[in-house]
Amino acid sequence: MEWKIAELKELEDKIWRCTACGTCKVAYDYGPPPTFGEICPAGAEFGFEGFMASKGKIAFARGILSGELPWDEEFLEAIYKCTVCAGCQNQCELDHKPYIPEIIEAMRRRAVADGVGPMPLHKNLLQSMKNYNNPYQGPRRVRTDWTRPFKKAGKPIKDLNKEAAPVFFFVGCTGAFNTAARAVPTATASIFQKLGMDFGILGENEICCGSTAMRVGDSEEFKRVATKNLETFKWLHDERGVKTIISSCAGCYRAIKKDYSLSSEYDKVMEGIEVIHTADYLNRLYKEGKLKFEGELHWKVTYHDPCHTGRHLNKFIIDEEGKQLWKGAYVDVDQSECLYEQPRDLLKAIPGVELVEMKRNRANSFCCGGGGGVMTGFGEWAAKNASLRIQEGADVGAERIVSICPFCHFNLNEGAKRIGSQVKVHDLTELIDQVLVGKSDNQT
Amino acid sequence: MSELSSLQKEHATTITDAGKVDSVLRELRKIVGESNCTASKHIRYAYSYDLSFVKPKLPDYVVMTETVEQVQELLRFANKEKIPIVPYTAGTNIGGLTIPERGGILLDLKKMNNIVAIDPESHVAVIEPGVSHAKLADALYKHKLRFGWPVGPPSASVLACAVSHGIGGLSAKYGLNSQEITSMEVVLPTGELIRVGSCAIRHDAWHSCLPLPQLDGLFKGWLGSSGVVTKIGISVHPIPPLLKVFTVSTENVADMYSYMLNLSNYEMCDDLTAVSWWLTQVPIPYPFKAKPDDSPEWFCFATTTSWTEKEREAKTEIWETVFEEEQKKGTSIKQTVYPEEALRGRTQLPSQVVGSTKNYCKQGGAGISWPGTFTPAKVWGPVYNKWKDILVAHNLSPAVRMTMYRGVHYGMFRAMIPFNKQSAEETENARHAIVECLKVDLDAGGIPYKPPVDFANEINKRADPGYLDLLRRMKKFLDPNDIMNPGKLGI
Repeated sequence: MEWKIAELKELEDKIWRCTACGTCKVAYDYGPPPTFGEICPAGAEFGFEGFMASKGKIAFARGILSGELPWDEEFLEAIYKCTVCAGCQNQCELDHKPYIPEIIEAMRRRAVADGVGPMPLHKNLLQSMKNYNNPYQGPRRVRTDWTRPFKKAGKPIKDLNKEAAPVFFFVGCTGAFNTAARAVPTATASIFQKLGMDFGILGENEICCGSTAMRVGDSEEFKRVATKNLETFKWLHDERGVKTIISSCAGCYRAIKKDYSLSSEYDKVMEGIEVIHTADYLNRLYKEGKLKFEGELHWKVTYHDPCHTGRHLNKFIIDEEGKQLWKGAYVDVDQSECLYEQPRDLLKAIPGVELVEMKRNRANSFCCGGGGGVMTGFGEWAAKNASLRIQEGADVGAERIVSICPFCHFNLNEGAKRIGSQVKVHDLTELIDQVLVGKSDNQT
Repeated sequence: MSELSSLQKEHATTITDAGKVDSVLRELRKIVGESNCTASKHIRYAYSYDLSFVKPKLPDYVVMTETVEQVQELLRFANKEKIPIVPYTAGTNIGGLTIPERGGILLDLKKMNNIVAIDPESHVAVIEPGVSHAKLADALYKHKLRFGWPVGPPSASVLACAVSHGIGGLSAKYGLNSQEITSMEVVLPTGELIRVGSCAIRHDAWHSCLPLPQLDGLFKGWLGSSGVVTKIGISVHPIPPLLKVFTVSTENVADMYSYMLNLSNYEMCDDLTAVSWWLTQVPIPYPFKAKPDDSPEWFCFATTTSWTEKEREAKTEIWETVFEEEQKKGTSIKQTVYPEEALRGRTQLPSQVVGSTKNYCKQGGAGISWPGTFTPAKVWGPVYNKWKDILVAHNLSPAVRMTMYRGVHYGMFRAMIPFNKQSAEETENARHAIVECLKVDLDAGGIPYKPPVDFANEINKRADPGYLDLLRRMKKFLDPNDIMNPGKLGI
């Protein structure tokens, strides 16, 4: 299997298409009314221009390519002090726009290739992936701990290693190993059972999607697990009848949808398999009238758009041949795959829920601070950033923040704890699970 | 580790005593805290270049202040140690104004970003240097107020634009953004905090620089070489609900000038701007490409706003009169339908699309520079024709803009020049052409604004000795040790 993962040098033309205008530094929309907000977590925290948005990162990239910025400890750290949230990318209108997260990750790949990266704590994470196939240093056995209540209740979840099912629930490492985030797979599976869905998991044989390895620049480790996963997906399709892969994790979803498409075999392997996020899947059922809610949740909630289910799913229209504008020109962005409205539609459908919007939302959502390896590498900063987001929710009167990513879920919780906020953090599946009517009345 | 690059060598010459470096950093940490100052190469590197042809140069330190007191303390220290200070807000100018000529401390003011006050009754706002156009637009709109938003990135600093004589989208009505400044708070190079304008008399009165002696002039147009402006009061304006843009084209610059002069006499536009065919192109052709024969050479948009339909009708009537008069003169004027997107780019400011400089990213290198000038409107025609010859001879497009300022006597006259910054030869070609253009403009009575050092030198060559002497004396008086952005004024 061949992988098209660009080296920094290959992106040089894109890097030099940045004019350094700095439009990327703040979230802004003309409106009217005009809206403004800080968009770069690193810029907001560290302030210096090098940390600031795409403009700063491009400066680093140019310095690396020209040899003017040799590696040292502090520079390496600066390369990793970025959540790769793509908030800056959303502001930019220049030709390098589609490549901004890739340029940042290519610098990290360069650091790894040069033997200096990633950060020490990332190295632990990567070693864990090599040892345990997950980044949490968790023994394989622990991966199924969250399923115990289901067994206990006499509703075991189907094991796809042994049985066939059309739906594969890709649990993800965070939901499985991170105790605070286990509510996510638990609620997801509970919903699926209530809906009477025929689904299964791989249990101990599920391995990491590789998102974290990719984000911190270890493309070799990413390729190892991604290749294995693609082989598994094909096996599941051919041998177990899997037609749909559902993920409740924004990171896994992004990796499978986007990072895996860098494989030469992607289209072939994924033929006949749909990859879908739980929120999108449930919203589809809701639109078809197949979700019925009972009872009310009298909660004032706001929705936090994870970067990986939002702007990371942008599809950029690029004039590769120079027929419309010029060769390599960025033309437009297609946001149709971004999951902005689906979770909101579901929230609005839940009886009693009052949805209020934070000022920074959808494509201009402010990152929770946990992405791009930051939660592992710089946990304190990640939590501090999350507390800003929590406060933003509190400022619009929300009692609860809902999201669709176990990573955001964990980090936002850390943020709330850090500032002693009363704002509670939930995954969307938790809310739906509370009000969803069980199987007897539903057929999917 | 690679060999020292030219940039590194340049930097090495600015620090000769390693012990001194450490002691400076120690002092800086005492003033602003460890997280707000650095001598790290990668951080300094990100401040070493901008969009322009100006050669990259590294500062020795970067410092971020959060309070006026910190600015004062920093300047006292720098003045004592004779270390250059380069004030910086967003780095979005295209004249290399914040690229340090002599190393020193780059003072990044982005953390001082409070909108101190908006007085919707008096139409005055008070802001710090780090307030961006995006932030102010958001805040003002809540009061249905506006400012002269420039054609630049929404992240750019309102204060830096105003004190550097930048212009905005209301320049035909209210003049330059610097003319909107109503009061100032400044830290002098020696560390004293002073105020000019009404806030000097009563601390919370920011409404006017007049009728006092206009000491605000000591800090406007000085390119950060006379002090650090820490607050300004600015006039802000109500947003009329009705927008109407009149667009015309002409075959030549003389006809366009005739129309703009005629329309300007009525003083009814928010913005009156004409652009050459090359500036209407996205991207601006680089290298030069000839204009199609069947396309007009000049396009003009006259932006008007009105409170009532009747007012709009009256303005339309005036415009129709002007148009008919121009037709009767036998000029090449025609009504033009301006593309909707282009109009949005001109009227929906601040704008990411315009600010994002899409026009300049086609070729790797993505450099932008300009001969940007204030030029008497009556010489626009002859100067443009000479610029065109110079630029085309350098294989560059004459992508020229002319904007009438308040009144009819002068306006902004500039050419936006894209070039490939990756190529030293192409960069030098652009620099050479731009400086040649500038000389023509200066000789015709124009004056460059936000000038790179190359331009400043040309200004000074032509300056009255008395003016230069006074400039030097004032600089010496305010900044006895020449620490503030040294070298930028070319004196």
